[in-house]
Amino acid sequence: MKRRIQHPPEALTGKKYWRSLGEFSDTPEFREWLEREFPAGASELKDDEWSRRGFLKLMGASMALAGVGLTSCRRPEMHLVPFTKSAEWTIPGKFLYYATAMPRRTGAIPLIVTTIDGRPVKIEGNPLHPASGGATDTFAQASVLDLYDPFRSRRFLHNGKSAEREEFSKYLDTLRATLRGNGGDGLAFLVEEGHSPTRERLRVELEKAFPKMLWCVYEPAQNDVPGYAARIGFGENTRLIPKFERADVVLALDSDFLDCGEGDLASVRAFTSRRRVSSAKDAMNRLYVVENRFTLTGSMADHRLPCAASQIPALAYVLAGKIASVTNDAGLTSLLGSMATPPEAQAFDDRWLTEAVNDLISKSGSCLVLTGAHQPVVVQLLVYGMNSALKNIGRTLLVREFPGNANTKTILQLAGEIGAGRTKQLFIFGGDPVYNAPRGLFQDPETKAALDWIDLQKKVPEVVRLGYHEDATSAQSSWHLPMAHYLESWGDALAADGSYLAVQPMILPLFGGLSEIEVINALLGGPNIEGPELVQETFRATNPPGDFATAWSNFLRDGFTAHVPLRDRPPNFNGSAAGTQIKQLWTPKPAPAKDSPEIVFVRSYAMDDGRYANNGWLQELPDPITKLTWDNGAMMSPNFARSLSVETGDLVQIEITESARDAKDQPIKRELVIAALVSPGHVENSVTIPLGYGRKHTGPIGEESGFNAYLLCSALTPHFAVADGKTIESIRVTKVGKKYPLSITQEHWAIEGRGIVREATLERYREDNDFVRKSGGADEPQRFLPSLYSHPPLTAPQQWGMSVDLNVCTGCSACVIACQAENNIPIVGKLQVAHGRAMHWIRIDRYYASAKPFNEDNGDWPENPEIVHEPMMCQHCENAPCETVCPVNATIHSEDGLNVMAYNRCVGTRYCANNCPFKVRRFNFFDYNQRPVGKKKVAGQFSIYKEYFAPFTNKGAPDITKMQKNPNVTVRMRGVMEKCTFCVQRIEEAKIAAHVRAGASSATHIPRDSFTTACAQVCPSEAIVFGDVKDPESKVSKMKTQDRNYRLLEYLNVNTRTSYLARIRNPNPKMPDAGNIGVASPLTEKS
Amino acid sequence: MDQSPTAPGTIGGGAAMTAERPLARVPLVLNRRNFSWITERISGVVEQPAPRWWWVCFTITGTIAAFGLFCLGYQISTGVGTWGLNHPVGWAWDITNFVFWIGIGHAGTLISAILFLLRQKWRTSINRSAEAMTLFAVMCAAIFPGVHVGRVWMAWYLAPVPNNYGIWPNFRSPLMWDVFAVSTYFTVSVLFWYTGLIPDLATLRDRATTKIKKFLFGFFACGWRGSNRHWRHYEMAYLLLAGLSTPLVLSVHSVVSFDFATSILPTWHTTIFPPYFVAGAIFGGFAMVLTLLIPARAIFKLQDIITPQHIDKMAKIILLTGSFVSYAYAMEFFVAWYSGNAYEKFAFWNRIFGPYWWYWWVGMLFCNVLSPQLFWFRWCRRNIFVVYFVCMCVNAGMWFERFIIIVGGLHRDFLTSSWGIFIPTWVDIWTFIGTLGIFTSLFLIFIRFLPMIAMSEVKIVLPEADAHFHGAADHHPAAAGGRERA
Repeated sequence: MKRRIQHPPEALTGKKYWRSLGEFSDTPEFREWLEREFPAGASELKDDEWSRRGFLKLMGASMALAGVGLTSCRRPEMHLVPFTKSAEWTIPGKFLYYATAMPRRTGAIPLIVTTIDGRPVKIEGNPLHPASGGATDTFAQASVLDLYDPFRSRRFLHNGKSAEREEFSKYLDTLRATLRGNGGDGLAFLVEEGHSPTRERLRVELEKAFPKMLWCVYEPAQNDVPGYAARIGFGENTRLIPKFERADVVLALDSDFLDCGEGDLASVRAFTSRRRVSSAKDAMNRLYVVENRFTLTGSMADHRLPCAASQIPALAYVLAGKIASVTNDAGLTSLLGSMATPPEAQAFDDRWLTEAVNDLISKSGSCLVLTGAHQPVVVQLLVYGMNSALKNIGRTLLVREFPGNANTKTILQLAGEIGAGRTKQLFIFGGDPVYNAPRGLFQDPETKAALDWIDLQKKVPEVVRLGYHEDATSAQSSWHLPMAHYLESWGDALAADGSYLAVQPMILPLFGGLSEIEVINALLGGPNIEGPELVQETFRATNPPGDFATAWSNFLRDGFTAHVPLRDRPPNFNGSAAGTQIKQLWTPKPAPAKDSPEIVFVRSYAMDDGRYANNGWLQELPDPITKLTWDNGAMMSPNFARSLSVETGDLVQIEITESARDAKDQPIKRELVIAALVSPGHVENSVTIPLGYGRKHTGPIGEESGFNAYLLCSALTPHFAVADGKTIESIRVTKVGKKYPLSITQEHWAIEGRGIVREATLERYREDNDFVRKSGGADEPQRFLPSLYSHPPLTAPQQWGMSVDLNVCTGCSACVIACQAENNIPIVGKLQVAHGRAMHWIRIDRYYASAKPFNEDNGDWPENPEIVHEPMMCQHCENAPCETVCPVNATIHSEDGLNVMAYNRCVGTRYCANNCPFKVRRFNFFDYNQRPVGKKKVAGQFSIYKEYFAPFTNKGAPDITKMQKNPNVTVRMRGVMEKCTFCVQRIEEAKIAAHVRAGASSATHIPRDSFTTACAQVCPSEAIVFGDVKDPESKVSKMKTQDRNYRLLEYLNVNTRTSYLARIRNPNPKMPDAGNIGVASPLTEKS
Repeated sequence: MDQSPTAPGTIGGGAAMTAERPLARVPLVLNRRNFSWITERISGVVEQPAPRWWWVCFTITGTIAAFGLFCLGYQISTGVGTWGLNHPVGWAWDITNFVFWIGIGHAGTLISAILFLLRQKWRTSINRSAEAMTLFAVMCAAIFPGVHVGRVWMAWYLAPVPNNYGIWPNFRSPLMWDVFAVSTYFTVSVLFWYTGLIPDLATLRDRATTKIKKFLFGFFACGWRGSNRHWRHYEMAYLLLAGLSTPLVLSVHSVVSFDFATSILPTWHTTIFPPYFVAGAIFGGFAMVLTLLIPARAIFKLQDIITPQHIDKMAKIILLTGSFVSYAYAMEFFVAWYSGNAYEKFAFWNRIFGPYWWYWWVGMLFCNVLSPQLFWFRWCRRNIFVVYFVCMCVNAGMWFERFIIIVGGLHRDFLTSSWGIFIPTWVDIWTFIGTLGIFTSLFLIFIRFLPMIAMSEVKIVLPEADAHFHGAADHHPAAAGGRERA
């Protein structure tokens, strides 16, 4: 008997049938559903743990009533329908893809989100938009896990007690009335940086309604310096867009522009596109990097000069002087004229700087000088001056119009208002200022005490917090509202280059969360809106061409719109305004010394500014440089560590004493006890601490990780602290004498002369384009040996293989998280990582290399080494050593060349892992997916995880975390081996699609390069390429025919399917350190 | 079957023959003990009430064994992660213990089978307990491959059971060969041991005082009456089983060594492994036999049966096999250098100077290579304390050797990025100690309930077993050392 779904009541419309979904969506009922804040049945979701059944019912309902490709994909609900009675147009188990964007502080990343049965499970970049080009970064990849965070905020809180949403609405109504009366006096907003035109539009409306209000933006890992400097140099509302594809020579002064976690994927792609060589004839760009610690950018450098972060201004001064003296640029000369020569100017490697400047000048107009956003305004302006002198502005550095609002205040200004008692109502959207605001924001005029944000917030009578977690800031707020994830909310955003992107929800807010624009709209007294109306209004104001409905639907389909033009400003650098500024602000800092080092605060590659503290994937992501997980550490050079007599894992105490601010008050001492982390390549007398760790109150995952470096940050020291005698009296780093357990995934740093990573300079490559064969050392086979065993015939028409171009791999680790999201890879916890049991199927090996050999076993570290990254995953050997040793035939070879695992057959002898020369097989030592691994065990003053007794734990993961799992990939149980499958589920999906297309014909060939693995798809520099190696025209085959192609450990005769393209560095032969570049390959007799 | 309780303990009353005839062989049983004395002394151990020391020892070893079983239960219920294993060290104490115990078993089979075929009559005093030791060692060994797998409840996949999936085990895998080799070895060893027990079980049956004992001994004695026919069949069966066991002595540890030799890891992938492992197994096994028998002979006053001459001979075998092993060690280093393979060279360099350096210097060099060199000296071979010290060294050294091979090969292999270190957990340590408890408990039960020395066989090597024996004054050469069974 056929069952039918009851469609929405038809009688009211007067029509018997609706003929199209579009027609249907225009009914008043539809409008009504749109306006409903919560779907029918949402009241079931109030409990903390709601059942899978309940969820599926609700999702079933949303699927059943989905208007695919219509005005929205937030589906109106009417009936709860289980999947077994699904509507005919929904295909359970079939993926649906929606375009959206992830809002970030520098600009949103356009995305395509894969949803299945109504749940978003995987995020990919939007290949149609250049700001993504199909790539994403670690944070975008991991953000889907945040959506299903069991510890995200689920309720309204009023003074710490659960409250109803209606109570908050009532509060807003009374508040609105009060504010209308006094013009918004005492109203303030503290928001995160965002580039949503709708938020900006509503903000302007707010300012109209409440003219006396304050709007403050605070981003702990980004300050307003670049914006301010751009305003001085190029006028209001400008942003500088680097064009790396046009730059032959790049000089980065403490600028980590290749940090793809910052979201600037276009720059990563553009930069690496100039390093992609297919033959020895190709040219490459050249990168000079000056920085205090190793960054991803530093690891890509052709020449890297370690320099204290506090000395970058002095170095920039010297550089600018050299450029000015050669180019005779009047603007730059006048800039320099307003500056006093810093006393440390002689300390820099003069030859290094001179040759670098000569190189830049020789490429005048096609070079680029960059500096980090956290360097002071003076450095920013000097860099503009240098680029202007080098004729780069307008060529490699575009001046783009980027909307801004001059009324925006900083957190310091807000602190002043609060301190003066003028702020009565404070709305905090996102962020966590109690955790991450600068310390000592405001000095109490009476007591002279420096007040932290937590003290200030207590002074505000009414604080409304919209937060993703019930965190430290929420605890101090009178109202806490659950925040919606960006995958749950309507919005819009600008990309980093200024283009206009759509943010559309994939799913209803799981816990009734609100978005910023919804709260602002509610405060304005706007109609209760559930759908895209607010965004549509903004969109309408951009005058989309053609009829609005089509334009809107195209906007949602593509995820962006092309009709909003990007406007570039004329490249006129206002040198005189810059000169005035520089004159006022130029205060060179003294050079750090052994007993008074500088402390540098940087955002973490894994935690960002701490917003991902409860994201297990990111906590377990090895830092691309240090390979540290679950913690941050005080990075310092080996020599400096030796002078403190500490090793990695020893606790050190860092003490910053700020000068007394006037005669009466006491100097403020800020202290932090943190584990030391010895980092080769770090500059001497400098300690770098990643921010974002030690954020308690977000959930159990974040609780146990790392040290809160914000405790050391004050408004005086946003990026680095150095004892200058004026603001900071002294900085001490001392050994505590205790150990702290750090979980580092790679213990050995040297290549030990093995041909694992092969590298050469461009010069050598041109002399001998077969250098790869000669630098393999013992890895090159003497001759091919026959295999003793018979192997299954590789007869399938398509044979899969992979190639990794080490020349463009920046080590950003987006592939690691992409693989984790795609393949349901569990996190194992800090102690398990310390035991060497991380489960990542792909890891990024990081090696230090130096022309002078070093023996780290004896504590002998390399001096100023270079870094090479090497992604390592299953190599899919054709003569796989793992296959012959498995006693139960659980790992075998497929006809299309995959080394496949049958989890059900695996008994877990681990013999395959032992016999794997690449050690890429991963064993489930515990039931990581089913049981919480580890209770807390107190080790001294810190907690670490301890082993557990499985029979006494509860089995089963929370339902909500199961919702993220990719249904096409088995969730593995304990005791089985797993490893990279080349995303076999994607191969099979493509095969099935090809067969469906072929029908009865025999044309079942999967179209060339029509799909790829998760790691290859995410890679911003396209370093990983996957495809059919049997097809000579496929991308991967073309890469494999290059002369830089080599395979690992070929002498073992394992015949790997994955190969690598050797790394090429492009040093300037005149540079003093040219001999230490491109030295990762072993020296062999043959060469 | 001399059952007379009043029979004198010695044959005749004459003076020591060696004094009269300096070139005569030293008798295998000293002090001219006769059949009756042997029966009384050996059966007595079984028939007397258990002495207090036995209960004390058994309580201790039983407790340790129970704790070991608890650790196994914990490991099975919670996961292999309770051990210190990781990536890259997928095997450590588990397989070390497996190889260690399997190796120990070899001495028993060598003594009972190869020495039997070679007509080494001195084996009769020690073969029973050595064989029992083999069985218990193989049982302990079998625990590890059984429980070290991730999904113990699926371990039956290793058995070639016909199934509707049509999936067979992978016969190319050395682990598969292990399964067959070890199970065959255990089966044959049990049969061999039991066959040898039958005449002695009959003796105990005949002497039994309670019905239950009579029934049990009688049941297991299979109706042995000592008739000529019985002896004829018995000896033929024994000979055949000895013939069957002999290749197993060589094959089992060769197959175990294939676990490593057929892999591709530096230090594992070595053709020298089969003979090296067999020699090492005999080396370690003899040390363990001595470890058990030296206290047992003192406690049960069996010095006349297990004489200094026996200990001396075993010490010589330890010296011989120890020299094989030392040679193999040297050869590994030589080949690593001579091969020119950078990975091999590094691995051996790492063995002596890497993180596990002291395992090599103490475990392999001192315990296995240097300490047996004492046995070049007769004084050392005859001094119980020196012998015991060397045996303990060898026991420990052989464990270290396996650990160095397994973990040393795994922790630093090809890609330096994946190098790691292995640190045992308390579960690792107590599982191993637990198997020592299981082993000693089983051995204590064995000496308590079964004749620990093969009475019938020892009697055969006595002078009076010779058909031409004419009393103490007889100058027949057989009186010096018995004669061949024919």
